[in-house]
Parts: sequence; structure tokens; C-alpha cells
Amino acid sequence: MAYPILDPTGSAATEAKTSVRAPRRTNLRGATVGLLVNTKQNAAPFLDEIGRLLAERHGAAGTMARTKVNFAAPAPEDLVKEMAAGCDVIITGIGDCGSCSASAVADGIAFEAAGLPAAAICSDAFGVTADAMAELRGAPGYPYATTPHPVAVLTPDQVKERAAQVLDDVVALITEPE
Amino acid sequence: MSDPPDPEVAQAAIEYCYARGWSDGLPLVPASKPLVDRFLATTSQDPDEVIGELEQVGRTCSVYLAAVNAAMAGCLPEYFPVVLAAFDALMRERAARGGGWQSTSGPAPMIVVNGPVRHELGFNTTGGAFGPGFRPNATIPRAIGLIVRNAFGIRPHVLEQATQGLPGRWSICLAENEEESPWPPFATDGGLPAGTSAVSATLLRTCEFVDNRHTPDPEHVLTDIADTISRTGSLIFKDTSAGVVLCPEHAQLLAGAGFGKQDVQAWLMQRCGRTGADLRRAGKNGLRGSARFADPDPGADGEFTRILPSPRHVPIVVAGARNAAISMVVRVFGEWSGTATQIKTLEAERGHVPAPVTR
Repeated sequence: MAYPILDPTGSAATEAKTSVRAPRRTNLRGATVGLLVNTKQNAAPFLDEIGRLLAERHGAAGTMARTKVNFAAPAPEDLVKEMAAGCDVIITGIGDCGSCSASAVADGIAFEAAGLPAAAICSDAFGVTADAMAELRGAPGYPYATTPHPVAVLTPDQVKERAAQVLDDVVALITEPE
Repeated sequence: MSDPPDPEVAQAAIEYCYARGWSDGLPLVPASKPLVDRFLATTSQDPDEVIGELEQVGRTCSVYLAAVNAAMAGCLPEYFPVVLAAFDALMRERAARGGGWQSTSGPAPMIVVNGPVRHELGFNTTGGAFGPGFRPNATIPRAIGLIVRNAFGIRPHVLEQATQGLPGRWSICLAENEEESPWPPFATDGGLPAGTSAVSATLLRTCEFVDNRHTPDPEHVLTDIADTISRTGSLIFKDTSAGVVLCPEHAQLLAGAGFGKQDVQAWLMQRCGRTGADLRRAGKNGLRGSARFADPDPGADGEFTRILPSPRHVPIVVAGARNAAISMVVRVFGEWSGTATQIKTLEAERGHVPAPVTR
């Protein structure tokens, strides 16, 4: 053929980085837990309850909650810096839409790069898009926690139940017992 | 035409594009360097110039990639300045730069074309404004869709998470019926002088018709449109945005009764909305930030809530044939920025107006 058919994607395959995960803590005693809330319905009470349970059951010292105004975009650099300076571990979520699930995972990976163990929590309806984002960020297979879809319609008590259900998975993501 | 092309070669090339995952589901025109060079020759922009960036996925689109995708979409090279302007217009929209392309709502761009370019390139400016049947109207929005898919890498079921999407996601490109509109072109609402070849763009969640052809009373027509705009189903935030694509007959009826475009907008801003009781029955009476939720308190049942806060939230376009009084309410995703984008053809830069394309 005289001319090749042109590729419309312009993409080079993303190189997988050797290690994207920050070193894990052996436990959460005395840790400050960063809660990165993405403004989706029920995200704030969900993460607040996770923070409360980590303090009550795992000895975390306290929480630092911050809200990401644009849920679709990655957390702004200064917000990552502020939370990385003030926290020991990060919980981010709730990934409950097309763009924010991917973005919650991207934030988790950004905090790992800043040296903090992170746990992103997504609704289980968005696994494919969350996985695709991890791959885009050079972290294929990056693990995150899931909670059954839907989240937005839950009552305050149901939100607490859900937080309790996912707690062990969250702890397993950010710690590595000796 | 000289020798007809070899269908088997064409079929193999089309299948190659499918196999590489580049297609939106329909056959693509395989792009080659000579074809893409003809697209690039229509603009003074550098092929390497980055014309769009999607921060969350770490991808960009260059003039070159836009040209490849426009060629694959079936555009003619001379459409390329319109594709560039439409893409530019969309990337100005917060909704498109944010998570719009990934959204569960699966919104469609709506591109509105104004000015002499409509006739120069052979756009459909009359009947069947929402398509199909006309190459520029059909292929320019498709080019945008292919750019999102290929250059930004946002593909259905992966980074694109539309729950149901909507009919015609990459096929809405209206050329305003300026000849039969009683009002200045839509691009003047977006800040450009009349007579400018321009595009305006926003994202839509769907369209809904208002068929009202048996009354001479402009208030009947506006009431009918207001009722459609005020449906609770599309109301998810405190405010909403709904464009009205008026057919020439409705537009002329309103203008004949003394309504300017701003009067229509003011009338709709005043009347569109629901009572607290209606909203409560639909579980949308409460407000948390700007998001609506179900508040059991019936205290505001008697209050009327308006939903269109400014004229920009109810843009008015005139399109279609003058053969029936059928207009369309278009459901804007987020809100329109209120800007129009000039189409930069080389001819326009040189001050030369080309002859119309004969169809």
C-alpha cells in the first residue's frame, strides 16, 4: 500500500511504574486520617463514619477532612501537599459516577506518590472505569475498596452500616501487619 | 469518475479501522497522509498545536489528531475550520472540560452554526434541522465524537460511563435558519457581530418537541413551551438550563406579536418552575448545596420555585422548516457559557468570500 492508514489516537502505551504504592503502616494507632470528600451525595457522612470507626476501633488519633470541589478532576496539587503534610493515611471517595470514580482512584495514586498509603472507595458499578484510570496512571491493578451501588439513596443509618461493612477492606488497603 | 475504486480494498481498510477500536460503531473513512494534509491545508494553525487537554485522563488533542479524526468521520477538508471552531467552542464549556464526556448522563454536544459558512459548505439550514441527510451537519459532530474517543481515549463502558446515553449523541449540528428567523443570529447572543461565520456549542441531555400549531396566540405557545421546560424529571439542581430551538413559524408568531428574543427569554424565566408541592411529590423539593433531594417538610408546598436564573440559561435558536409549528426544548447539561466562536477559514483571514457550494 502506498500510504499507511493513520492512527487517530496519538497515544503511546503508558509505562507501568515499578511501584506506585507508598510503604504501609503496620497499624493505625496514633495516625491522622485524611478524608478527601468529593461532594457526591453521601460521600461526606460515609467518610466521616470511616474516620470515626478508625479512631474508635483502630486507635487513629483523628481526622483531617477536605473537600474536592471539582469531583471530576484530580485533587489540586496544593490540596495533595496540604493533606500529605498533615496526614498519615488517606481515604478518598465516594466514587459514585462516571468521572469521579476514575478520579478517586487517580487521587489515591497521587497520594501514594506523595508517600501516603491511600484507600479509594468506589461504588461497585464503576469498577471498569476505576481500573482504566489506574492503568492510565501507570498503576494497573491498583487496589481500591468497593461498596455496593447505589450510595446516593442511602439513609444516614444505612450510610453508617455501609461504612462499617467496608472498614476491614479499607484497613487492609492502608496497613500491612508485621 | 475514472475507474471505480476497488470495493474489497475499501472493505478491508474499513475493517482494519474497526479492528483497531477506532470506530464509534459505524464505518470510518480510513485516513491517509495525503487526505489529512488537505485538512491541514485549510488552517493556519500548526499541526502540533494542542487544542484541547483533558487533565483527568492526561490526554491532549493536537490540530493533527483532530484532522485525522475529522477525515475518518467523513468530513470534507473544507469542513475542518468548522471542526476546529466547534471543538474550541466545546472546550470552553466547563461541562465538557470537566467530567462531561465520562458522565453517566452521556451528554451530546449541540453545535449551532451561523453566518455565510452555512451556505458555503452546504449545511442544511431548513427542514430536518436535527438530521439526518446532510454531510456537514452529520460529519462535523461525528468528528467531535471521534476526537473524544480516540484522542482523549474516552470509550464507552471504560472511561465513558453513560447509563443510557441519548439518541444522536454525536450527530446534533444545527445551522440556524437565519433567512426565516425574525431575530438576529444566535452567534450575536454569543458576542459576535451578525454576518460572522461562527459556531456556538453546549452539551445536551436530550431534546423534547413542543407541537403547537393550532393557535394564533403567542401566550399559548409560550405556555406550552414553559410546561415542557418545567418537567421535574430533568430538574436535578436548584437551577436548570433549557434551550429552545424555535421553528420559524413559532418564532415569527412571537415576533409578530412584538416579542424580541429577550422578551421570550424573560417570559420563560418568569413562568418556568414548579410549586413546592410538585417538587416534594417528585422528591426534589430540598436543597443540599445546589443539589435537590427529598425533604419531607411540606412547609414550602405553596411556593412557586423559578428554575431559569438568567437569559443565558434559556438560549433561543431558530431552526427547521416553516412548514409546521413544531419547536424543540433542548436540555442543556450544566449550562451554556454564552459565547460564540468565530470560524477561522484561510479565506476569512485573507478577506475573501468563496462562492457557495452547489448541492
